[in-house]
Amino acid sequence: MKIEDIINLQNKALNEIEAAADSETLEAVRIKYIGRKGLIPDLMKGLKGADPTDRPEMGKRVNELKNTFQEKFSERRNQIESSRTESGDKTFDVTLPGQWRGLGKKHPISYLMERAIDIFHALGFTVADGPDIETVFNNFDALNHPPGHPARDATDTFYLSDGDLLRTHTSPVQVRHMLKHSPPVRIIAPGRCYRRDTPDATHSANFHQIEGLYVAENVSLADLKGDLAHFAHEAMGPETKVRFRPHFFPFTEPSVEVDFSCHICRGDGCRVCKQSGWIEIAGAGMVDPGVFEAVGYDTGTVTGYAFGMGIERIAMILFGITDIRDLYENDIRYLRQF
Amino acid sequence: MKVPISWLKEYVDFDDSVKGLADKLTFSGIEVEGIHSAGDGFEGLLVGEIRKVDPHPDADKLTICIVYDGNEEHSVVCGAPNVKAGAKIPFAPIGTSLPNGVRINKAKIRGIQSSGMLLAEDELGLSDDHTGVVILEEHWEAGTALSEALGLPETVLELEITPNRPDCLSMMGIAREISALYGTKMKIPDTDMNEADPPVEKLASVEVADTTGCPRYTARVLANVQTGPSPDWMQKRLKLAGIRPINNVVDITNYVMLETGHPLHAFDKNLLENGRIVVRLARPDEKIKTLDETEHVLTADMLVIADSERPVALAGIMGGAGSEIQGNTDTVLLESACFEPMTIRRAARNLGISTESSYRFERGVDINGVEWASRRAAALLADLTGATVARGLIDAYPEKVSEQSVSCRWETVRSLTGMDISNDDIRSILESLSLNVTQADNAGLTVSIPTFRQDLEREVDLIEEIARMHGLDKVPTPSPQSRIVADAEDHRTRTLIDIKTRITGLGLYEIMNYSLVSKALLDLFDKSDAAVRIELPNPISSDQSTLRTSLIPQMVETLGRNNARQVSEAGFFELGRVFRNTQEGRLENERLSIGLMGPVGRTGIDKRNPVKGEEMFLWVKGVLEALLESQRIPDASLEAVDFPEFEPGFSAAVIIDGQEQGRIGIISPEIRKEWRFVEPVAAAELAVDPLLAHISDSVTSRPVAIFPAVTRDVALVADLSVRHDDIVRAIYDAAPGELEKVELFDIFEGEAVGDGRRSMAYSLTFRSAERTLTDEEVNGYHSSVKKALNDTLDVIIREG
Ligand SMILES: [Zn+2]
Repeated sequence: MKIEDIINLQNKALNEIEAAADSETLEAVRIKYIGRKGLIPDLMKGLKGADPTDRPEMGKRVNELKNTFQEKFSERRNQIESSRTESGDKTFDVTLPGQWRGLGKKHPISYLMERAIDIFHALGFTVADGPDIETVFNNFDALNHPPGHPARDATDTFYLSDGDLLRTHTSPVQVRHMLKHSPPVRIIAPGRCYRRDTPDATHSANFHQIEGLYVAENVSLADLKGDLAHFAHEAMGPETKVRFRPHFFPFTEPSVEVDFSCHICRGDGCRVCKQSGWIEIAGAGMVDPGVFEAVGYDTGTVTGYAFGMGIERIAMILFGITDIRDLYENDIRYLRQF
Repeated sequence: MKVPISWLKEYVDFDDSVKGLADKLTFSGIEVEGIHSAGDGFEGLLVGEIRKVDPHPDADKLTICIVYDGNEEHSVVCGAPNVKAGAKIPFAPIGTSLPNGVRINKAKIRGIQSSGMLLAEDELGLSDDHTGVVILEEHWEAGTALSEALGLPETVLELEITPNRPDCLSMMGIAREISALYGTKMKIPDTDMNEADPPVEKLASVEVADTTGCPRYTARVLANVQTGPSPDWMQKRLKLAGIRPINNVVDITNYVMLETGHPLHAFDKNLLENGRIVVRLARPDEKIKTLDETEHVLTADMLVIADSERPVALAGIMGGAGSEIQGNTDTVLLESACFEPMTIRRAARNLGISTESSYRFERGVDINGVEWASRRAAALLADLTGATVARGLIDAYPEKVSEQSVSCRWETVRSLTGMDISNDDIRSILESLSLNVTQADNAGLTVSIPTFRQDLEREVDLIEEIARMHGLDKVPTPSPQSRIVADAEDHRTRTLIDIKTRITGLGLYEIMNYSLVSKALLDLFDKSDAAVRIELPNPISSDQSTLRTSLIPQMVETLGRNNARQVSEAGFFELGRVFRNTQEGRLENERLSIGLMGPVGRTGIDKRNPVKGEEMFLWVKGVLEALLESQRIPDASLEAVDFPEFEPGFSAAVIIDGQEQGRIGIISPEIRKEWRFVEPVAAAELAVDPLLAHISDSVTSRPVAIFPAVTRDVALVADLSVRHDDIVRAIYDAAPGELEKVELFDIFEGEAVGDGRRSMAYSLTFRSAERTLTDEEVNGYHSSVKKALNDTLDVIIREG
């Protein structure tokens, strides 16, 4: 092997780099010269057979060749890439549909429940849970429903053959929780409930509620209003106002119905709020001493508030749903909207 | 409850608009659900006089009436059966409109020209009665505006009375609230009347055999009653309140019931054997025919009013047909009583009857108001029917109920409501509600509770009264207080929400199905759990008779519903509870189901190629694997098990930590047929609890290996009985710890590899954490893997 061989190879290689028009050709040149079995590694192996006196000079040359090749190769590669960036591929149709699996969505009831949970988490509420199948004690007795209360009727409530029932509200979770924990208690209980209503546009055999309970020393109706106002602001916007109307529930005293100012008309009156400017959102009140007695709390030291809202009802108002059964049809075209 | 404003004004004055009154009532606890106007839209309608009635020549049921409108005569064809010459009736001349907007035009009816219309109550919007035209009192002159003759328009409030306020189920009860709200005085109607001998005890006798069911019973006797229609003003009020007028005696009892809240009953005394009243429990299988001509068979827990022989009324619910007021009634026994709520409620429910009377007794009437109601009705009967009131009142009231005292602490009022109410305000609110203060000091006050307020028993009950009358708008809205209590922990909730979020990230939509399903649907999928299902003894329909034992049936049903609506692809999941009766008791568990239909697993535009069962199965398995991995489940696998709802071979149990926790597969062709699925449909169901088992596991990070990886491929032809899992396990068993990853990158079946066999190609990645592996080392690993596969499995390694 002679020095000329090295020079010839260098000239040939640099010419080929220069001539390469695209990155594929350039890559082939790279493999041809410095790939694992390329010409330059070959040359290096050939050094062993060269004249010992020429060997240092030739080794230097081969190294130079390798470096120059690398340098020119990188240069050319950058040229090709930048020219491609400038001119681009004019034939590609960017309007073709994207190809990645789309996202699914949560059911609107889940969506609303999770939002409510999230908002109440910030206020320090944690989630409490209870079974759908409840005892008469937890569902009615402990919640101050006198014997003969209409809600207890088998025409309104699903009883099982052993006398237990499908809970008619999430309030038995209050009872379960208080029986297990001493005050203070600050829980929300989202869940499924059942009433023996004939299905129609506003009734379905099961529905969902979210219930809240706060028991501690000196809890007042004002605390309830403050906390629900926070919920209103987070859920329906910061301008949302809250008002109480007196009402009656067996397990709270005083009892109130809670209205939020209409999220559509902001109180001016519209179709959604039936021109009143207000939307009924929740039932609430101060926990009746009878409930505390049933769970063994000392009515002399603690007071508490409780509230409950129907998720389907809120979904219907928020999303303009006119038939509750649409929520249980699970038509994917319907679910995609939320 | 319907409350005409003009009637209310008889008992209380208030200087406010209807809207103002409605707001005040609503915000003090009596919700005004609606404000209706009766008699609106009467413009142009007149009092007409029928001068002549001729039969219609071509229709038996029609007449031709000549009607005088005060100006001229019109010929009107009419279908009402009660038209007669001389009657004064509401008349709509040509060109006018009815309250419902219908315009009166000239028309030919069965060939006869008709100019105008004679009106029934429904056409006037007064009731839904269409039995005949309204007959007005005779003194009205033809041509008088109809609104004047009917005393309309009239505004009626529709009130929702909560069950704790039976005292508000009356005009006077509402008036009492209004008087408290506006600070005006109640006007109590006059009950002066003449009573004549003989004393009532000589004419009738009362025996209360069940004083629990009937703590008080009073009776009066009125003779010389002239039955007939009640006066227009009374009929009008009854109608506005929703009660149909019958005759003057019955109307008076109803009127006083609406006025006072006390249901009354009038018997024809001559139809009572021996003039005797016995209040007793029914004898088993005793029968009574009620006013509505229905025969009821009674049970021994039902209270009846009987004479000396037989039941003559269902106590507090409905009178009997055998003792009712008739056209020739001349002596009336007037009952005013108090019945125990539960007794009435049970009987009304068991007999399937609900009346204005039972509604009030079920909620509780004021035992001490019984006498006044009786007196008021007697005075009206004397006045309006010419009756002679026998002297005195039979009053069976063995245990007098007196007013109770309840105390209330000033500070508690303020601390529970959060409202700054002065002691004076508290006191005056309670006094405005007729609660007399019997004692007051620095700590609080004591009031005496009138018996019409049975709902006020405790301090909180008084606080509620104070709060609602003071105005809940005065409850302040403090800044919300965040407070964390001991044991606050929400891992499970957060994880369940997180799981749902992740699955939607996989492209699946969440569905929600009812917990109650039909037995037939469950049977279609898996009959084997029939013994553990929980069925409702009293379902609304067979469609919703059984608590679901699995989420898969409704998942497939949902896919089927979408399919029927031409939705060609869908991926769904549901998180819900299933229920079963087991040896250990009733179980209620959270489950997760997944369902796929159509080419959901393809991300490209290649949607037309038919979906194969193999693909489908691997898609649903892929979703499951992603989920298990996201929950850091270390040990999960599928084991081929044939479940009844799945296609044999495409059916597996999901094994997590050695336990069967779910099932996965392709829905069987028989089930698919039910919903006309042409292509395979995949479903999986999984218990949720195992998914949460590792949520609290700690994570220890390791640096990623920086030395280069070396890959080698292994291609083999294997018998179809050799499973992918077997091959992967054999590779790992044979390779050293440097084997980082085994990936299947090609699978092929076809003639080239022979029947019952397939070609599979795996890419093996080797890497050391400490150094760069040499080719020689890796080649050595590669060879030993190939040798081990060859030795342990029925495979042929393909070289090259
Ligand atoms: Zn609005």
